[in-house]
Amino acid sequence: MSIYSSSVNRPVTTILVFIGAMVIGLYSLTRLPVDLYPEMELPFIAVYSMYPGASASDIESNVTRPLEDAVNSVTNLKEMTSSTSDGIAVLLLNFEYGTNLDEASNDVRSSLSFIENYLPEGCEKPTIMKFNSSMMPIVYYSITADESYQGLEKILDEKIVNPLNRIEGVGAVSLAGVPGRKVYIDVDPRKMEAYNLTIEQIGNILRAENMNLPAGYLEMGKTDYPLRIQGEFPESDVLKDIVVTSVNGQSIFLKDVAEVRDTIRETKLDTRLNGAKGMSMYIQKQSGGNTVKVTKEVEEALAELAKDLPPDVQIQKLFDSATFIKDSISNLTETLMYAGIFVILVVLFFLGRWRATLIVIVTIPISLLVAFIYLFITGESINIISLTSLSIAIGMVVDDAIVVLENITKHVERGSRPREAAIYATNEVWLAVLVATLTVVAVFFPLTFVTGLTGVLFKQLGMIVTITIITSVIAAITLTPTMSALLLKWYPIKENASFWTYDGSIRKALDWLDGIYEKLLRWALHHKRLVVISAFIIFLGSMLLLKFIDTEFFPEADESRITATVELQTGTRVEETVRVADRITSLLQEKYPEITLISSSAGADEEGGFASLFGGGGTHSISYNIRLLPVEERTKTMWDLTEEIRGDLAGIPEVVDFTLNSSGGFALGSTTVDVEVYGYNISETNIVAEQLAEKMRSIEGARDVTISRDKSKPELQIIFDQNKMMANGLNTATVATAVRNRVDGMTATQLRQFGDEYDVVVRFKKDAVATLTDIENIGITNPLGQVIRLGEIAEVKETMSPPSIERKRRERVVTVSFTPYKKSLTKLQAEVEQAISDTDIPSGVMLQVGGAIEDQTESFMDIAFLIVVSLILVYLVMASQFESLRIPFIIMFSIPFAFSGVAIALFLTNTTLSIISAIGAVMLIGIVVKNAIVLVDFINLMRDRDHEVYEAIEISGKSRLRPVLMTSATTILGMLPLALSTGSGSELWSPMGISVIGGLIFSTLVTLVLVPVVYAIFSKHGERAKKLALYSEMDFFNGNGNDDQ
Amino acid sequence: MKAIMIIFNQAHTERVEYLLDRLEIRGYTLWENVQGRGSITGVPHLSTHTWPEINKSLLTVVDDDIADTVLEKVKRIDAISEEVGIRAFVWDILKTV
Repeated sequence: MSIYSSSVNRPVTTILVFIGAMVIGLYSLTRLPVDLYPEMELPFIAVYSMYPGASASDIESNVTRPLEDAVNSVTNLKEMTSSTSDGIAVLLLNFEYGTNLDEASNDVRSSLSFIENYLPEGCEKPTIMKFNSSMMPIVYYSITADESYQGLEKILDEKIVNPLNRIEGVGAVSLAGVPGRKVYIDVDPRKMEAYNLTIEQIGNILRAENMNLPAGYLEMGKTDYPLRIQGEFPESDVLKDIVVTSVNGQSIFLKDVAEVRDTIRETKLDTRLNGAKGMSMYIQKQSGGNTVKVTKEVEEALAELAKDLPPDVQIQKLFDSATFIKDSISNLTETLMYAGIFVILVVLFFLGRWRATLIVIVTIPISLLVAFIYLFITGESINIISLTSLSIAIGMVVDDAIVVLENITKHVERGSRPREAAIYATNEVWLAVLVATLTVVAVFFPLTFVTGLTGVLFKQLGMIVTITIITSVIAAITLTPTMSALLLKWYPIKENASFWTYDGSIRKALDWLDGIYEKLLRWALHHKRLVVISAFIIFLGSMLLLKFIDTEFFPEADESRITATVELQTGTRVEETVRVADRITSLLQEKYPEITLISSSAGADEEGGFASLFGGGGTHSISYNIRLLPVEERTKTMWDLTEEIRGDLAGIPEVVDFTLNSSGGFALGSTTVDVEVYGYNISETNIVAEQLAEKMRSIEGARDVTISRDKSKPELQIIFDQNKMMANGLNTATVATAVRNRVDGMTATQLRQFGDEYDVVVRFKKDAVATLTDIENIGITNPLGQVIRLGEIAEVKETMSPPSIERKRRERVVTVSFTPYKKSLTKLQAEVEQAISDTDIPSGVMLQVGGAIEDQTESFMDIAFLIVVSLILVYLVMASQFESLRIPFIIMFSIPFAFSGVAIALFLTNTTLSIISAIGAVMLIGIVVKNAIVLVDFINLMRDRDHEVYEAIEISGKSRLRPVLMTSATTILGMLPLALSTGSGSELWSPMGISVIGGLIFSTLVTLVLVPVVYAIFSKHGERAKKLALYSEMDFFNGNGNDDQ
Repeated sequence: MKAIMIIFNQAHTERVEYLLDRLEIRGYTLWENVQGRGSITGVPHLSTHTWPEINKSLLTVVDDDIADTVLEKVKRIDAISEEVGIRAFVWDILKTV
């Protein structure tokens, strides 16, 4: 017994099986985490090694190169870059996507172990660090305060950070720009010297005074008392009255020689929020955590916790990835809903029967919910890729049910009872339905084999569409007949129905359309040459349009967020930088009402830890994080605003260089166009880089031209005269420490209060070390007690410090890069290559184009390969169904016109050809062929039923027009909301909708005319071979005596 | 005693079963998946991709007086939908055991 007759005979079981699947699907849906993209491990491993005191070029040859040589042979390593600056070498290893990073880091570790012993003495053991996408903070908060600013660190630590850390799913809560507390002892050098004191002495006295000590036990009577000496400073005020020395029997207190300031840490980083002093807090999630859920919980907790804060402390959200995710997801959910409604309307329009429509559309929720089961089992999330995939599938899942239902209806209309019609009608079409689906699967399934970054994204697309389509086939050959048997009723078509009924209006219109099409076909069949030639011309013409379509690697999404880095003259003091930053902030605030929040940080935090390891920065740089109004509430796009801000920044004289980045937290591949200048000689490569940068600035559409190698930084060097130093009984170590203690300060001891420790720093007061003379006048006490001036034993010289050295593929490199603005990469590539060939390149210097252009070329190669694979698979599937090599060929004539349609649609909507729209074109191969299969299969059938070729074609055309139009219309209208969507993140997927819609409309129209014509051309000669053979074999029927032979 | 052979499109199965029950005909022999082609009208029922429909054939031996009733009812079934197809043929039974 076949599957469809068993299911029709056991309707309860059949329906309950599907209801069961839907329940599991709904359960999975509630359990699925929500995220922006499928979880992917960023394939990066960093290796760093510290070598304190060594210069960049020394480290490069002694540490960086051996490390690079050792690691180079690790499997799956795609690219290796390194950056060497004073004291540190950092290697960044970029692996192929999909590499198991645990294995990779083990390989790296074992490779490093071979050379560890050969590294210079004093160089630290290399450390391996893995990157993870969950390291990206999910929420940034900005915190401002007035009166409470001084004690903010402690307040936040106790009241915010610790409680937030307890929330499940929160990985880490970190504070940046915290005003840490410190006690500064600002010593007046003159007074200090007058009392014969040194910084070190004062420090040691403080250290000696600030101690608690257990001093044993005292047994008194029956009790044992522990003895404790309580000498620790209870508060910073006590410091002032500590006796540091005595002169002529008089005690000299610390306040006599120094000023004691219990204040916040001096930092070279100044964080501001909308111009007000503030700091930022960012929250990382645990790996695998649900961004949206964690963010929501953090926000709820924060609202509760904020009540306990002093009223002047304001916490404001700066950025959270959850908002963009939520917007995108709700946007897509809406899209999905509209797609569903459209599909239902289309089905209702063509069938005109509520019951029939209901039978068809139940396949939608079933197929979609089964996709959720797949996501749940494989541990994936609901993200824009999975939801887009569902939107794509929604128009296709009804196709199979439509074909089956159509045939059942035909039988019912002929007078069969629904139950029997359901079984026999399904029997007739189930194979054709299965094969048509297989062609779609043949296109989508190979998507799961794509490698690289695109592969990570399209794997889900391929899997989800494959699963939903297969589910829909299963439903079409079991549930659809079952429900038809239960629900279908036969209504006679009323010939003279009133206009206001379905039969009177829509059905008549459709019948009229069938007639028109039949006439069109008849005309086309008698003008075959004209049809073929004009089709060829249309195809060529549309392909010419491709020249006018810009290409792009990945469409960028308007994330309502701009980040910017502004650089002033190297070496600018932080106070000056802050002043400029304030000016820029107020300018932006006044000029752009679209900006809701500006967070800026000027300068660099020396104690920034991890971030300072990789970030360049310095006292002269300002970084901005600008939040804009949501996309719907503003007219200017993020890119327009970025461009306008660029103009503003260029008008500020202090600003030397700036980079604006509009692609927010998550960049898919690089967005800049890079030209890599390889060469060992630093000055030569610098010159080439400068020349290139100059040429690039003149390229239209190139913004933010930057050279990766930092400009040399001015610095003051103290060069000792060894002879004079020896003569005075001093050595480098003593003098160096002394200078450091006086200028930077000496951490003498810690002030302990309420379980926290605060550093007590002894140093010269700021205005005593403000000029070169001040430095030369620093007095150093030698072992004889004499005070020697620094100027007597050393010379202070101003020099430029060498830049950090970057390497890529084990060679020194300078990258000249720019951000494209409203110009396609293809055009830019040509101009960049022109610029390169115009540049005078010295021998030993090599230039290479990389970045976005390289990524794009790689990915388009992948897509081209995908198209070839899909074409072959589709051909194979069709050839086996028709048991013919010729018919699939006829059917595939519709494919080129799908591409024409894509080109026309992209051209008309001014959309770029990106990976996304190209994938749309790949998908079309499967979708488009489906129409032609339906048509050609029926023509074949008619010919088998002994109709003449032309007659067969006309009958089939008339009969199959509606199913073809219906399946195309469901797919097109299902995609329409996707293509028209303008909400957050829609830039990412609307190109796919546009290309599929364009391709499908155009190819459907062409298929309806061209495919029958090509069929006629091909079948003219190769007449029914089997019958001919019989005819000649049995020639005796014609009175010819072939039996005599 | 007459033998009646009813050859019908399997879509008529339930109607034929009902016919037998109503006329209280107990004995019959049924062959499924029988292929055939009508002499004058209708499409071939060959269970192929081209002609997907298929017949069943039923042979029943009844008393002479019922035979005409059966034929009449078969004619009525055929009238419901001529395109589906049902035919009956009657011949004499000479002997039974």
